[in-house]
Amino acid sequence: MAGSVGILPMLVAFGSFPRLVAYVPLRLRVLPDEREATVTSGVVAVWSHRTTLRLLVRRDLTVKYQQSVLGYLWSLIEPLGLGAIYFFVFGLLYRSATHRHLGEAAESYPLFLITGIFAWMWTSSAISEATNALTGQARLITTMNLPRELFPIGRVAGRFAEYVAGLPILAAVAAVYAALGRIDLGPSLLALPLAVLVQTILLVGIALLLSSLNVLMRDIERLMRLVTRVLFYATPIIYPLALVRDSGLPGWVKIAYEVNPLVGIFQLHHSIWYPAEFPDARLLCLSVGGSLVTLLVGAAVFRRLEPAVLKEL
Amino acid sequence: MGEPMIEAENLGIQFVRNRRRNLRLREMIIHRGGRQPDAGVFWPLRNVSFAVAPGDTVGVIGRNGTGKSTLLRLIAGVLIPDEGRIRVRGAVAPLLELSAGFSNDLTGRENVHLVGSLHGLSPGFLRRRFDEIVAFAGEQVANAIDTPVRHYSSGMKVRLGFAVIAQLPHPILLMDEVTAVGDADFRKKCYDTIDRLIAEGRTVMLVSHNENDLTRFCSRGLYFDGGRLRVDGTIREALDAYHNVVRP
Repeated sequence: MAGSVGILPMLVAFGSFPRLVAYVPLRLRVLPDEREATVTSGVVAVWSHRTTLRLLVRRDLTVKYQQSVLGYLWSLIEPLGLGAIYFFVFGLLYRSATHRHLGEAAESYPLFLITGIFAWMWTSSAISEATNALTGQARLITTMNLPRELFPIGRVAGRFAEYVAGLPILAAVAAVYAALGRIDLGPSLLALPLAVLVQTILLVGIALLLSSLNVLMRDIERLMRLVTRVLFYATPIIYPLALVRDSGLPGWVKIAYEVNPLVGIFQLHHSIWYPAEFPDARLLCLSVGGSLVTLLVGAAVFRRLEPAVLKEL
Repeated sequence: MGEPMIEAENLGIQFVRNRRRNLRLREMIIHRGGRQPDAGVFWPLRNVSFAVAPGDTVGVIGRNGTGKSTLLRLIAGVLIPDEGRIRVRGAVAPLLELSAGFSNDLTGRENVHLVGSLHGLSPGFLRRRFDEIVAFAGEQVANAIDTPVRHYSSGMKVRLGFAVIAQLPHPILLMDEVTAVGDADFRKKCYDTIDRLIAEGRTVMLVSHNENDLTRFCSRGLYFDGGRLRVDGTIREALDAYHNVVRP
């Protein structure tokens, strides 16, 4: 593709591997019942097609930005704008209440906000774009024999590239607060790769699940618009987890709240700058375990629905 | 002859008409799925067995809606059978839909690189052959190579699609009604290319209603009717069987 976008495609991370397997020359197709036994074969198939994955992601980014003047800057403007709105409401209007619960983040609330919102943009746009990953690319899927998992995974990877594009801004804001002495940079920075890893696992699971279900029930698309809105407020993104834990909510509500794997993931994100936010063992287990279960369920549902999905497209 | 290139064993696939309607809440609650449980279930292909040797040129014949395109999709691996198995020993170059999987929002140039790469062609190879591909697709396409494909006519899309597919080194070539769209000039180019590919020993499966095309390229014919393979013989035998049904 004649380098029409610029920086973003280069950020797509998996480019460094040699073109070992451009396509698998010997492709034996197997019986339906043999397919059940080979959940791991999905992983192998996706891995051997990572070049294809990169192409699809680059294509998505090209299409997404080719007709907008500001191009990929939108992936920065949007979260920053949201951050400004929430800062106005909770950082200025409800200043005293917010500061009471933020603890060590009280003096750097803008950093707290955009850390959460950049990670949230990845989550919400990956969920909404993965939902129609199969329905929106039916033409390609019904003419070319590629592992179908690539299409939803590609959407998660594309939004991840946008998240990576925002990291320099996050780093710049953090550098300012570090210079002002309001945060301490240290080994807690290592929470970032951990957060990204767990979030990738969760998002791929969700993407596989929703993309295949959406082919058979288009309701999913509308449902998820509502669900992501709920999730935004049901996750400690713009407020600290302490606000929920210290609240007078009944115990079972607090437990239900923390079952959401995103809670632990966003605590990991916040702990990059605020080590005290690092999730405790139980929350970390819930988050990692929940993400892995989501991935397994998503992959199993995708496998099971694949024949029907191909017929419906 | 060695191992067959394509081998179908008792192949069958089941479609459900109105699957989505059956999933609707109203249907589920009011009729509890009990209303004619098998309503809308049909088999576009069933009990199909055949083997295609390397270098075979096979014409697939039958009336509309008898599973010809479904068969090519099963061979290309973009449908998964419900019964039996299909084994394909080699990469497949499919020209199933006229557009060959182009994205409407991308330009012709971007699509050539995307589709070519997705089929396993290296970027270097595509750059070297790019002019050749565009030249093959014709002047009209060459002029529009940097405009989005959604502005192309169906003839232009099939020209460019065929031009890309013709570059693939894959041993198996699947074509579904390719020559039906292009004009006479393009059809001549298609014929020359298909002749060349057959001469190279590729295995070709061709779906067509054009008897001239079929007799010209194919030595072997599969005649389908009602989802069953009725005749597996020479192209002449298959065409005769087809004519017996169409013009009794």
